[in-house]
Amino acid sequence: MNKHQIIGSRQKRVDALGKVTGAAKYAADYNLPFQLFGAVKYAEYPHAIIKAIDTTRAEKLPGVTAVLTYRDVPGKNHFGLIPNIRILADDKTRYLGDVVAVVAAENIKIAHEAVNMIRIEYKELPAVFDPEEALKLDAVKLYDEGNQIVHHKVRKGDIAEGFHQADFIIENKYTTQAIEHAYLEPEAALAMPDEQDGFKIIGCMQNFYSSHKVIAAALNKPLSKVQIIQSTMGGSFGGKDESATLVAVRAALLAQRTNRPVKIVNSREDSFRQSYKRHPYKLYYKWGCKKDGTITAMEIKIIADGGAYCSMSPFVTWRSVVQATGPYYCPNVQTDVYAAYTNNNFTGAMRGFGSPQVNFAIESMMDELAEQVGKSPLEIRLLNGFEHNAITATGQKLDHYVSLKDVLKTSAEETNFERHWEENKNNQQKGKDIVKGIGLACAYRGVSLGAEGVDAPSSIVYVQPDGSVSLSSGIIDMGQGARTAMSQIAAEVLGLPLSRINFQEADSGRVADSGATVASRGTIMGGGAMKIAAENVRKIMEQTAREKFNIQKEDFIFKDENIFIRQNRNMKQLCSFNFLVNACYQSGRPLFASGVRKIDVTSWDEESGQGDAYFTFVYGANIAEVVVDLTSGKVNVTRFLSTHDVGKAVNKSMVEGQIYGGVSMGMGYGLMEEFVQESGKAKTLNFDEYYIPTAVDMPNMKIIIIENEDKFGPFGAKSIGEPALEIVAPAIINAIYNATGKRIQNLPANLEEVLLGHKLHRNIERGSVSCKIES
Amino acid sequence: MQYHKPKNNFEVTELLNTFKNDAQIFAGGTDILVEARYNKKNLKENWIDISGISGLKQIKEIKKQISIGPMVTHSEIIRNDMIKQHAPLLAEACRVIGSLQIRNRGTIGGNICNASPCADSIPALVVLDTQLVIDSSSGEQVLPISDFFIKPYMTILKPGRWLKEIRIMKMKAENKFAFLKLSRRNALAISRMNFAVILQIAWDNTIESVQFAPGSIFPIWRRVTKAEEFMLGKRISMELFQEAGKIVADSMIKESGRRWSTPYKEPVVAALTARVLAKAAGLD
Repeated sequence: MNKHQIIGSRQKRVDALGKVTGAAKYAADYNLPFQLFGAVKYAEYPHAIIKAIDTTRAEKLPGVTAVLTYRDVPGKNHFGLIPNIRILADDKTRYLGDVVAVVAAENIKIAHEAVNMIRIEYKELPAVFDPEEALKLDAVKLYDEGNQIVHHKVRKGDIAEGFHQADFIIENKYTTQAIEHAYLEPEAALAMPDEQDGFKIIGCMQNFYSSHKVIAAALNKPLSKVQIIQSTMGGSFGGKDESATLVAVRAALLAQRTNRPVKIVNSREDSFRQSYKRHPYKLYYKWGCKKDGTITAMEIKIIADGGAYCSMSPFVTWRSVVQATGPYYCPNVQTDVYAAYTNNNFTGAMRGFGSPQVNFAIESMMDELAEQVGKSPLEIRLLNGFEHNAITATGQKLDHYVSLKDVLKTSAEETNFERHWEENKNNQQKGKDIVKGIGLACAYRGVSLGAEGVDAPSSIVYVQPDGSVSLSSGIIDMGQGARTAMSQIAAEVLGLPLSRINFQEADSGRVADSGATVASRGTIMGGGAMKIAAENVRKIMEQTAREKFNIQKEDFIFKDENIFIRQNRNMKQLCSFNFLVNACYQSGRPLFASGVRKIDVTSWDEESGQGDAYFTFVYGANIAEVVVDLTSGKVNVTRFLSTHDVGKAVNKSMVEGQIYGGVSMGMGYGLMEEFVQESGKAKTLNFDEYYIPTAVDMPNMKIIIIENEDKFGPFGAKSIGEPALEIVAPAIINAIYNATGKRIQNLPANLEEVLLGHKLHRNIERGSVSCKIES
Repeated sequence: MQYHKPKNNFEVTELLNTFKNDAQIFAGGTDILVEARYNKKNLKENWIDISGISGLKQIKEIKKQISIGPMVTHSEIIRNDMIKQHAPLLAEACRVIGSLQIRNRGTIGGNICNASPCADSIPALVVLDTQLVIDSSSGEQVLPISDFFIKPYMTILKPGRWLKEIRIMKMKAENKFAFLKLSRRNALAISRMNFAVILQIAWDNTIESVQFAPGSIFPIWRRVTKAEEFMLGKRISMELFQEAGKIVADSMIKESGRRWSTPYKEPVVAALTARVLAKAAGLD
């Protein structure tokens, strides 16, 4: 029996009504009287010195109210983890999505006309587009300090000794591609001057606390004079951090200059051109192995393309260095991960955050090892996989419940994996055009930020005088369902139905800086804070109850909108929830409380790459069944099983939703998505050419949720957002191998890659827009 | 931009004559509305929306042919009983166009006149011996679809002329046929290549007649007569179809030259030609 009232049950999303009726307001839906429209002037070279900017003609165009360049930014024009992202390009252009000037006008047509009148004088510089080239000593430098953004290391044991002990060596190179987040809602913001010399900005920002700081610094205003209001978001997947900040801060600068509301809405093409992508990786994996299938040494070198600016490269690659060896025992490890600047689109956070790349390499290597020692993909993982109290490559002891082998065995049994795998393998030689394959991948993943950052989000609970409840959290809902999960957590603590609870999107003045809604930390951290906040409110109510009913007993039960006390083995009703609420307000105890969830048990040593990287981990296994057309290279995924240990599913329907979406996104990564740039120029700027999977491409999916409650999570809950995506591609790639005997080492496994073993990129401009043909 | 909605064919012709070079027929809008976001300079000032003319939405039998109005949507073609019975190949081609929404809006006339090389209905229309009826103030002109295209996105339609009717030959009951589309995903996808074939197979399993046309292979659509002639009179077999596939791939390279995509397209065109022929002949 469920020990909880509402946690673990299937609940409708609390924001479903607004979304299905169209009442939900996204950033672009907001309008104000006297509002102006903003448009941007893009860089015309991926790498050039800006010698002069002439805006005079644009300024004179009737209807134009402001044209700004970097010189017009009253405060700081640079921001970021390493503050080199330019709000408006100043010294140089570094990629073609750079914005050199921004225009506000009475309507968007005039704004675009004005943009076309801006003349920029450049001195073109040689550019670099390959991160490995960029790291060479004689490479063109994007910054005086050089092109290396970061170098992370992990050192464990003795790598030379490890290879010495090996019976054989497996060595491979893998490459992964840049991909677009493809959120349904492009970036948009509406900025307005307020009544007291401050500013309000409504926008769709995934990391609105960071946007808040960037905007205040650019406007040269204190944080308290700038209010960020989070609109309902149409997806983000890690993508609306700096990319959305850029749109919002440019709108804010125009609002400050014109003293009028200014709205900027990115078109899909703007979004593709400006926004950061998933990091493309080059991965060099070398393993020393024994004939029994164990691994004696792993030597790993990874180079990530960071693009023009330092967004999240140091953190993304840090997760890669921590997880580069997978959930497998290996006594001797040497991992080096580099990120480098290039003149491509900058790269940053995206669902998975440095894990999808390494998981593709690890899980491909593991299958190859299995084959070399005559074991099945399942056997090899059970042989090498982590168990309880395992020590990771970074020296961390896994003292939570390690469920890797549970997820593996459950998945294999459910799909009859080994039998199918054997059959498909034997069918390879039969000369058929259409062949079937099955593939397995698994992973472990550090939950939340880990040692990369301060982890302490806030939530607030306000039980109103009528007994209805308002919630807010520093963790935002971008479509993943935080509103519902948070509401369920508060409802559980207070013994109320969801209908009494209203989650209100935070703004920068209401909930303390909670960091970003990233790293699958929404439920475990933000939800943890919500639980504490609700418990704090409950404590006020319990204290009032003790006084009111003159009882010493502390064991209250909040259930079904009533308050009970335990009497012998029974529950005795004390009063209704509303009665107690009223009593609280009557006695001058408003029911408002905040909660902060802070976990700081992590540690890291930069030099040795050793430490307790994350406070807990999750485990998952995926199995893909594919059908490959050998004549065309077309791969269809026919069935998919996704098994995840989520700690505790707060809402099973939403966990499943995350997994369905993750499988779809992971399939796109594995099979068709690629943001191709040629000399820095994007070849795909909209979804007519940038393909993501459609409903018709999706396989039959089955989901198995495993629950091993974690001591750090609210009600034991951990994570699912990123785990859902991070092993989909390798499961598919391993299935393709099982079908064809050909190993894909470069993502995505598109038609050409599967048929020819390499990519073909078109080198001509195409004729029409509406139905462009690939010649 | 000026929007016009004529009530009959006569008004269409009149409007086209009035605005000459600066007029554009608006059918389902699935191409032109997308185009309007980008290539504004290519757009004509006067849009003539012909959706108000009911006569242009009809499908009817005329002896050995079926007449299809240019405003008939892909969805209507898929659902139409006459098409199902006499031209199931066309229904099959229309079924893989875009998405349900596109098929509900997009028209057969628009698909032809936009002349995109990856249009899915056109290879089927080519093998169905389609005739197009062009209207203008100087009267009607009927011509085979193979004479209609000049190059990708360009047709013989001159100012003042428009496509009024599409006439396809009824297939024979004993005809075998197949349509095949290769794309990077399974819906809302532009064809990498597509193939349409109608076969007539004699009692002794020899090929009595064959009409075969690929899409996205040649600069404009045409039947591959060299491959057709090669197959005529021969007994159906996988080997025969593979040979035919090679002839098609060779013709492609001969006409279009070697391009960035040739290393992929050459083997795949050959293999999928063989597959679509085998599918039609029931050998798959």
